[in-house]
This record gives sequence, C-alpha cells and structure tokens, in this order.
Amino acid sequence: MDTFFSTYGFLMVQMMLQALLGLSLYFPMMAGQLSLASPGFYALGGYIAAVISTKVVVTQGMYPFHLLLLEILLGAMASGVLALLVGIPALRLKGIYLALATIAFVEILRVVSLNLDITGGAVGIFGIPQPFANPLSYALLVLPLLILVAWFAARLERSRVGRAFTAIREDELAADAMGINPTYYKVLAFVIGAMVAGGIGAISAHFLNTWNARQGTFDAAINVLAYVLIGGSRTFWGAIVGGFALTALPEILRPLGDLRLIVNGLLLVIGAIYLPQGLIRPAWLAALGKRKVALVQPKGEL
Amino acid sequence: MELGTFIQSLLNGLSIGSVYAIFALGYTLIFSILGIINFAHGAVFTLGAYFTYFLIGGVNNGTGVLTNLGLPFGLPFVLATLLGSLLAGGVGVILDRMAFRPLRARGADPLLALVLSLGLALLLVNLAQYLIGAEILSFPSNVYGDWLPPAINFGSTENPIPVRGVQIIIFTVSMFVVVILTLLINRTKIGKALRAVAENATTANLLGISTERFILFTFFLSGFLGGLAGTLVATSFSISGPYFGVTYGLKGLAVIVLGGLGDIPGAVVGGLVIGLAEAFVPGDFSAYKEAVAFALLFVILLVRPQGLLGRKVIQKV
Repeated sequence: MDTFFSTYGFLMVQMMLQALLGLSLYFPMMAGQLSLASPGFYALGGYIAAVISTKVVVTQGMYPFHLLLLEILLGAMASGVLALLVGIPALRLKGIYLALATIAFVEILRVVSLNLDITGGAVGIFGIPQPFANPLSYALLVLPLLILVAWFAARLERSRVGRAFTAIREDELAADAMGINPTYYKVLAFVIGAMVAGGIGAISAHFLNTWNARQGTFDAAINVLAYVLIGGSRTFWGAIVGGFALTALPEILRPLGDLRLIVNGLLLVIGAIYLPQGLIRPAWLAALGKRKVALVQPKGEL
Repeated sequence: MELGTFIQSLLNGLSIGSVYAIFALGYTLIFSILGIINFAHGAVFTLGAYFTYFLIGGVNNGTGVLTNLGLPFGLPFVLATLLGSLLAGGVGVILDRMAFRPLRARGADPLLALVLSLGLALLLVNLAQYLIGAEILSFPSNVYGDWLPPAINFGSTENPIPVRGVQIIIFTVSMFVVVILTLLINRTKIGKALRAVAENATTANLLGISTERFILFTFFLSGFLGGLAGTLVATSFSISGPYFGVTYGLKGLAVIVLGGLGDIPGAVVGGLVIGLAEAFVPGDFSAYKEAVAFALLFVILLVRPQGLLGRKVIQKV
C-alpha cells in the first residue's frame, strides 16, 4: 500500500485537482456559458499563493496549514472579484464569442505574468514551501474539497438557482421572459467557477512546488474543456470523471512512449465523434437509480 | 516618432499583417460555411511549412523518427511552395472526410466540432513532433533566389530605412492571394455557390448545389491558405518546431473576430490592423507585443462583437 501511494500518490492528487478545475468550468456551463477562463483564475490563485509563501511570509520547515487556508481563501476571493469585473461586460457575449473573449483573457493574463517582476517573469516562482510531507497528506485536503464542491454542485443542480441556470442554458430568451435575470445568473455562475479555480490554483502552487506562466495557457484551457465535454457536460459527474480519466490517460498510455500524445489527441477526436454527450449522461445515472431524471430533457446533443 | 522608424514599422506591420490575413482567411472560410472554428488550422499552417521545407530538398535535422530524412530531389522554391500548400490543402480534405463530416452527419453541436478540431490539432502537432522532432528547421537565407537583396533601402543614403527583402515578397504574395481569392468568391460560379452554402446550406442544397462538395472544397482552400501562410512565415523566420503554428492559430482568432467572424474582407482588414498594431508597439513595451492581438480581441468583443466589418446578427425567437 505504501509503495502504491509513493508511486501513484502524486498522480492521484493531480487527478483530484484537475477534476476540481473541470468543475470550475462546469459551473458556467450549467448556465450554458462556454467559458475557457478557468486556467486564468487558476494561474492567479497560484501566483497569490506563491508570492505570499515565498515573498511575504518567510517560514522555516513545514509551511503552516492555516496560512495555506488563508491563501486558498485569498485566491478564491481575488479570482471572484476579477471574474465579476470581467464577467459583467463579457457575459453579454454568447457561445463562441464568449469562449473567444475568455481565451483572450487567459492569454492577456499569461503575457502580463510573463513580464511582471513579482511573478518571476518567464522563469516563474521556485521553491514554494510545502505544507505537507507527502502527496497522501495533500489528498487529505484535496479529496474533502472535491467532495465539498461536488456536493455543492449537486445541491445547486436541484436548487432554484440551478434551475435558473438550466433555464438559461436551454433558452435564454424564454428564461428572460419568465422573469429570470440572465445577466445576474450568468455572472453568478462565472464567479462561482472562477472562485473554485482560484482556490485550486493556490493549492496547486504548493503541490507543484513551482509556478510559472505555463500554468495558465490556452492549452490548459482546452484540457479543462475536454474534461467536461468528454466526461459529459450535463451533470457534475462528467467533469469529475473526465478530469480523472484525462489526467490519468497520459500515465496509462506511458508504455506507448512518444506515441502517447498522439493517441491522446486521437481519443479526443474519437470521443467527440462517437460520444457526443460524454461518458456520463443524466439519463444513464437515472438508469442506475442514483438520481432522479433531470427536469429538463436535453434538446440537442452535448 | 521619427519618419524613418514610422515607415519601417508601417512596412513591417503590413507584411506580417498580410500573412495574418491569408492565414485568417482559412479560418473565416470554414466559419462562414460551417459556423465552426477549426483549431487544427494552426497545425495545418505548420505542416504546410514542413511540406515546403522538404520539397525544396531540405534535410530533417530534428531527432524524430524520420531523423536525417531528406527527399532525393529538390524542387525550385516557387514550385515547392505551391505543392506544399496543395498538400496542406489535402490535409484539410482528409480532416473533413475523416473527422468533421462524420460529426456533421450526426448533427452534433458546433461546440463539439470545436473539441474535435482541438483533438485534431493535438494529433497533428504531436504526430509532427514524433516524426520530425522538436528542433528548429531553417530555410536557406537565399531561398527566394540570389536576386533578392537581404534588405531594401526605402530611405536615402543618409537616412536609411531598411526593410527586409523577404518582408516585401511576403506582402506582395499575400496581397496577390487576397485579390485572387476575392475574385474567386465574388466573380465565379464556384464563389457564388460557396456564398449560397454559407448563407443557408439547406436551401442551397435544395437548389441543386452539392453542399458536401463545397464544404470539402472549403476545407481544401482553407488548408491551402494555411499552408501557404506557414511557408511564408517560415521563410521570414524559421520553423520553430511542431508548435510553430499554435501562436499564429490563436492570433488568427483575434484577426477574424476583429474583422467580423465569417467576413472575408474583414479578415484582411483584421490581419492588417493587428499586424500594424504589433509593429507600432513601442520598444519599451515590446514584451507585451504578444498580448496586443488579444487585447484588441477583448476590446472589440465588448464594444462591437460583430467585428469591424461584420453584420449585426439579430436573434430571432
């Protein structure tokens, strides 16, 4: 068991962190908004943690746990505020336009972080202190967090706010006519997603020990989008399963050596063509008897 | 700003902007017909440059599986560029047949086509890395022939305004392609059919236009333009590895949104605007040059989402 964790512990924590990132993208998607901004907020949260723990507070030995919690909170809050500022104008855009605006947002943040002194420029920030001795202890923080966010998503899906999200996703004009304020709910979904991404960034910075501009790139945004779409975008389970599966996939394919990234791309292609609704579908979950059938049946695919 | 520097920036901006334009035209053609953004376009750009490089007889000094590969012959550059771009167009055709068409046949959401194209980009880029390697491949500096001087002086002897000869060639070729393409779209029967398919595919089909054939043609044209743009940029700088096209792929997005998604003159205007904006970034802020296109993209989306030349879409219930 010990060897299992020492071999795969890092991967397992990474899978949970990526599943959480997937969830951060799932929240806007609940309201029908395709936002690729998650890696931008993730990078922001990570930089906040990295700067605090290496430049503001100087500690010896293990990094204090309460400071880590503070960083997570700060990362989430800062991301939430930024999301509010960006979201109010940006969420007037629909579909592909919003996706493009969020790509632009991520790229701008990336170039800025490449050029600022405080973020360490192109080199990034090194030697971020460790609050835990091994990946297993990280898992004891990240797993409850994953369960908490997933539980929140599950509650949200069935709440009044969640139903407003669904209504906007299915038909924004109709939702508006029914007295739902689309802008309010879209910005809310965007801010929730950003806060999750920012908080996860703060943990990841410690976990990865180093933080640089490569954390928040277009490629990262695409990976996270793939988690949700390959996993299934109609239930929060999709983001989790997709995050787990696609993070583990390169490791599973490791015996293929240099071919594994090619196979990874091929699987995305095949997934898009043959699993248009993703791996996990609400109807499928309902058949398992775990959940009630979703109130609104999906009208199209995806 | 000094007049000399101004003219120099202007010419450099126009040159790079014109490449952005023909690259972005490949994006915008597919968007106008299918309403999807083909992220694999950046990968096709890279492949086009690789094709031309090998066709002129270049040897692979990368460490991929095909290391030290070289064709036993070398074509003249102009012919190699043409053939390389045609091959890139062929890649576009394969992508449509193998991936986009099966997805279309299932009537899937356009968002899924986005994911599909990203998967294809990942596939192509890593395939290139596997076969060729991640090393930089450079075209010979006199690839256009010895008649082309490395730099042309646009100023006087006292106040020289040197502009690289390659830049002039790139601008001329790109503008030529833009004119040909505009004529093709606006003055020929093929162009008329393409516009009909773009306006409404179902109606066009009912009126006897073979929609699938024109979609395939669009993918070919898009691949051709992408491949040509890749070759032109590679002769100006070099092929910086399989990820060569990724930055251009993202900038191309900014270009088409700036001009208006799916709008052909818009893509040209957008390309030139972004090329010029980048060229005029002051030296002190040159590190932020990479963000210019995205800042413009973000601003234009907020101020005028339909783009500079685009039509406003009125949502009908």
